[in-house]
Amino acid sequence: MTSQNIIEISGVEKRFGTFTAVKDLNLELKEGEFFSLLGPSGCGKTTALRMIAGFQDHDAGSIRIAGRDMADIPANRRPANMVFQSYAIFPHLNVGDNVAFGLRKLRLGKAEMQDRVAEALEMVELGGLESRKADELSGGQRQRVALARALVMRPKVLLLDEPLSALDKNLREAMQLEMRRLQQKLGITFVMVTHDQYEAMTMSDRIGVMFAGKLEQVDRPEVLYARPCNRRVASFIGGMNFLQARVTGENGRTVDVDLQGFGPLTIDVNPNALARSADLLAGIRPEQLEIGAARPEGYDACLQGTVSDIAFYGESVHYYVRAEGVEAPVSVAVPNYFHTVDHKRGDQVWLGVQNASVIDLGAREA
Amino acid sequence: MSTPASDPLSKPLASSLSKPRRKPFRFPWLPAYATGYLVFLYLPVLLLPLFSFNDGTIVAFPMKGFTLKWYAQLGGQDTLLQAMANSLIVGAVTALTATSLGLFAARAYVRYRFKGRELSEGLVMLPLVIPGIIVASSMLVLFISLGLKPSLTTVILGHVFVALPFAVSIMKSAFDDFDQSLEEAAFDLGESVIGTFRRVTLPIVAPGIAASLLVTFTVSFDEFVLAFFLSGNQPTLPVYIWSQIRFPAKLPNTLALGSLLLLASVLLLLTAEYFRRRSAKSAK
Repeated sequence: MTSQNIIEISGVEKRFGTFTAVKDLNLELKEGEFFSLLGPSGCGKTTALRMIAGFQDHDAGSIRIAGRDMADIPANRRPANMVFQSYAIFPHLNVGDNVAFGLRKLRLGKAEMQDRVAEALEMVELGGLESRKADELSGGQRQRVALARALVMRPKVLLLDEPLSALDKNLREAMQLEMRRLQQKLGITFVMVTHDQYEAMTMSDRIGVMFAGKLEQVDRPEVLYARPCNRRVASFIGGMNFLQARVTGENGRTVDVDLQGFGPLTIDVNPNALARSADLLAGIRPEQLEIGAARPEGYDACLQGTVSDIAFYGESVHYYVRAEGVEAPVSVAVPNYFHTVDHKRGDQVWLGVQNASVIDLGAREA
Repeated sequence: MSTPASDPLSKPLASSLSKPRRKPFRFPWLPAYATGYLVFLYLPVLLLPLFSFNDGTIVAFPMKGFTLKWYAQLGGQDTLLQAMANSLIVGAVTALTATSLGLFAARAYVRYRFKGRELSEGLVMLPLVIPGIIVASSMLVLFISLGLKPSLTTVILGHVFVALPFAVSIMKSAFDDFDQSLEEAAFDLGESVIGTFRRVTLPIVAPGIAASLLVTFTVSFDEFVLAFFLSGNQPTLPVYIWSQIRFPAKLPNTLALGSLLLLASVLLLLTAEYFRRRSAKSAK
């Protein structure tokens, strides 16, 4: 990956009447990067994408693509192309004419145009389907045509608005891998908007998490999962148990805490945390807790409780454990190794946790 | 292969469908009422072509014999042909004008949320419920006070007014299912605003445009009251026919002409309906 910035967004803001859809957006995307904007519906992520595409103008700040300020450049002259959520396949044109739509403006020779269309269709594994009618395409094929139609323009940036949300689960998972592979092969910057955390994590180099118009954290998926910046981001990505932690000692890069229910632990200070308070909020991922009928050996802290609910997910079993001094039940995810469910509702169990599994989430109120 | 009958899952459903739990309340006189209704509606219309083949000038049973002479005579009547030409001109100009105006209005109504949208939409639809005689007399007063003499031009102006609601509602339904991102996609792929309209918007709503042209043409072609008030000494076909009814000897000619118009109207409306359905299908 080169370190050249392809998109530079600074201080961008968008208001609709009195409602601010996007606040102070700052973002730099590198050439060849797969970036996802992740957030709940209405968080402003689609508005942000549409501002990059040029369908929406911004009220403040600047958007630069490939070094050029986009303020006065309309969507049809930006070096970015878009894959729409509905795919927007032209119903009156066949597959070949759909893909060739944008090429017509480039005044290419007929042979070159055909070559580029064929190449683009080959790329999305629809080779030879040029004459197929738009209404004869399946959902997955429509998605591929939309991709080919945008990629044939050889854009510097490809913008994708919830590109997989219309597909069923199996096809969606296959397309996630395929789009990722295609992006790596082409080396084009992809900017994708999604509300699906798994889609964002499996496909992206980096993810930006947005809430209520504000970009709260931008990081690699692993970092986002291990060191979320606050409670909102932590709960939007993966499962998380939130516990209060009273700070008993500071040692620079680590901090001694008395963790609600579990007792004393020494945890890493999270450099991403957005806000600090005297005591802190701690998080533990459900799959990083050990559960057993007896007190587990070799863990830094333990907690005894009663199984209140069991949820069977197939690949894992989730136990919800109520313990004294902890308001919400603690959830524990156990991989389904041997097709057994080891604990029943009402069983007395022990939970064990390691120092390294406890995440410092910064201030309690965030 | 599983047929519905051999599919065990479909059995309970099938039996429950064939044996409704509660009999619907029955109206034994309903078929008779429906038949009577249709006869009342269409009998006069059917008499028109029937008597146009009658070898006699009096429209009464018993009929005298079969003839095509009333149709044959139509060709030689210059004033009739002139009236027909007037009607075709008025119809064509009305259809083009109303459909163009309707196309742009409908796109705005469906696509944009602006102040006064509902009010203006209501006003555009108003001619459907204003009595024609009131429109006609007030337009005559207006045009004369503006110094416009009754002519085909004034008829066209009047007809555009009454045809516009039809054009707007047909074009609105064409735009209703039109995915806005289609236009955005075209613009995103480098096309200009006008090019987007030409290469994407127009072809997709084309069946709607065809339907609107046909319907507004028919509305204008059949319209009598406005044409009667506004046509001056350039009668359209309905006005001409009305003037001929006063002469009993000309009546069979009028019947023949009416039959032809009836046939043409039905064909036009069937074509319009075909295009309207195609537009509903293609916009998805």
